Amino acid sequence: MSQNYVDLDVRPILRKGGEPFSVIMDALARLDPAQGIRLYATFKPIPLFAVMAEKGFTHAETELEGGEWEVLFTPAGTQPSETDSAARLNDVWPDPVVRLDNRDLDPPEPMVRILGAAEGLKPGETLSALLRREPLFLFPHLEKRGFRWLGGFTADGATYELTVRAPI
Amino acid sequence: MIGGNLTKWTMSYFAVAIVWLIIGECLMTIGFGFPFAATEAPDTLFVVHIVCIGWLSMAMCGALFQFVPVLVAKPLFADSWQLPALMLLTVGLVALLGGFMVLGGHLPVWLWLLPTAALLLVAGFGLVVTDLAITIWRARASIGPAYFVIAGLCSLCATAALGSAFAWSLAGLGGASALLRSGIPLHAIAGLGGWLTLTAMGVSYRLLAMFMLAPDLDKRRIRTTLFAGSATIGLVVAGGLFAIAREIGINVVLISAGCLGFITLALYGRNIISLYWRRERAQLELNAKMSAWGFVSLAAAVLLAAVLAISGSFQTHVEAFAFLVAFGWLSGLVLAKLYKIVAFLTWLETYGPVLGRSATPRVQDLVIERRAAKWFVAYFISVWSGTAALLLGQSAAFQVAAFAMAVATLGIVQQLIRTRRLADVTGPLRLPGGSRAPHLLYASI
Repeated sequence: MSQNYVDLDVRPILRKGGEPFSVIMDALARLDPAQGIRLYATFKPIPLFAVMAEKGFTHAETELEGGEWEVLFTPAGTQPSETDSAARLNDVWPDPVVRLDNRDLDPPEPMVRILGAAEGLKPGETLSALLRREPLFLFPHLEKRGFRWLGGFTADGATYELTVRAPI
Repeated sequence: MIGGNLTKWTMSYFAVAIVWLIIGECLMTIGFGFPFAATEAPDTLFVVHIVCIGWLSMAMCGALFQFVPVLVAKPLFADSWQLPALMLLTVGLVALLGGFMVLGGHLPVWLWLLPTAALLLVAGFGLVVTDLAITIWRARASIGPAYFVIAGLCSLCATAALGSAFAWSLAGLGGASALLRSGIPLHAIAGLGGWLTLTAMGVSYRLLAMFMLAPDLDKRRIRTTLFAGSATIGLVVAGGLFAIAREIGINVVLISAGCLGFITLALYGRNIISLYWRRERAQLELNAKMSAWGFVSLAAAVLLAAVLAISGSFQTHVEAFAFLVAFGWLSGLVLAKLYKIVAFLTWLETYGPVLGRSATPRVQDLVIERRAAKWFVAYFISVWSGTAALLLGQSAAFQVAAFAMAVATLGIVQQLIRTRRLADVTGPLRLPGGSRAPHLLYASI
């Protein structure tokens, strides 16, 4: 089957310190069934891989010059059952109801605060957090509790932006 | 998952390592090995391998299994290899020590012990190296602290290969007599300088930055230090083997590598000072303060080597230099980092599942630094006194220093056990609903 990709460059959004995930989800909702996404990002968007896999996309990533990444998301052989656009649009993550700036906290206080705030979210709500580092020890606990998350470093590499969504 | 899980057997590696350290210190206290035996005597090799394999390598392997996945944000390739590796290394070390007892005339002539030990140790380190190397390779990480670990693992392979050649040769099964005659410095430098020091450098960059809230170092700086360090060890091993094969003497190679090593450590020192200088945590924790004493010991060892080399007496005092590297720099840094790592991993294991759901203590509530500080101070003072005693040829004073080291180590270990047992956390915060007390020797995951 021939494959075509919709190009999506979120690097400008990331460089401005913005939040690209709603743009990615929006583009996903507009895809034709056989289409994939060619994503350009300023970091390797590891958390996105799990989200896209759930939606039936495989990924293949290539590192570009300057630490940037090109990722091909390709629909797997079987498409997810939920294919109508309206249903997909519902999966656009809402704006965060809690915003945390944890950059000046001693580790592991950022993790304590994020899990504390996450436990207070209603189903489907999100929180956002700014951190100094990728919170690797946090991820297993988010996963065990059924939370989904997306995150990455801003272009200057100084701040890690994390969005956490409560299970629906 | 992407690399933040606890590993089950890291605490077991630490526990085994600490037991070997205490055994090594007790042996030095009773005068087993140098300075009561020659540097290359079997009794000295017995103690040296207890310290380098039993203590330092075991502790390093345990730490790497936990932190390499964090360095590269990828899970470990094979969790199930950790315990077999620990067993192979332990049995292999016991066989190796038996082999040295044979050479020292303390056991019957069981010459098969040394080659058996070599096979077991190569199998154990082989599992460790393969597991960690595949983990790093699969992450395709850009150049950073993980590459120091790669360089360290390559050095470990070289150390193990040279050690195996010696073992077979000593058992009369190989013809590497020229290598055995001149190659011991290559084995020692690849082990202490390559495997242990390069790996400690890489891990210290990330742990110090993490625990002191310092920005990560500029990649070019890390790359330059990495290249200089790898070139040093590459020159020692490749150049040394070439020189031995051509029978031209290895001193030129060692002097050149010494200069390159000096540059590497100067670059590393600059990087570490920069990390301390740019940290955002105003009040240093005990682990960072005591790590600094380890760095001071490394600087002192470099200075000592330079002074001895210039005065032409390096050969006569090489033992004092090696002692300061092994106990001041490597052991000092490992003990300081263990103090933090054990507290952090214990906190994460016990309270991670209930974070956000119940009130929990902070990591710092698991330790009482004031109580541990005196043992660390005693440890470093004894190590520096032991070095001075070796330099001055005062064997009895060295034994006293070794005894003081053993006592100080036991004091530190007692604090680690208290941390693991949550003994210093009082009140209802100690075990909030849903949390379980951790096992002393492994993580319940």
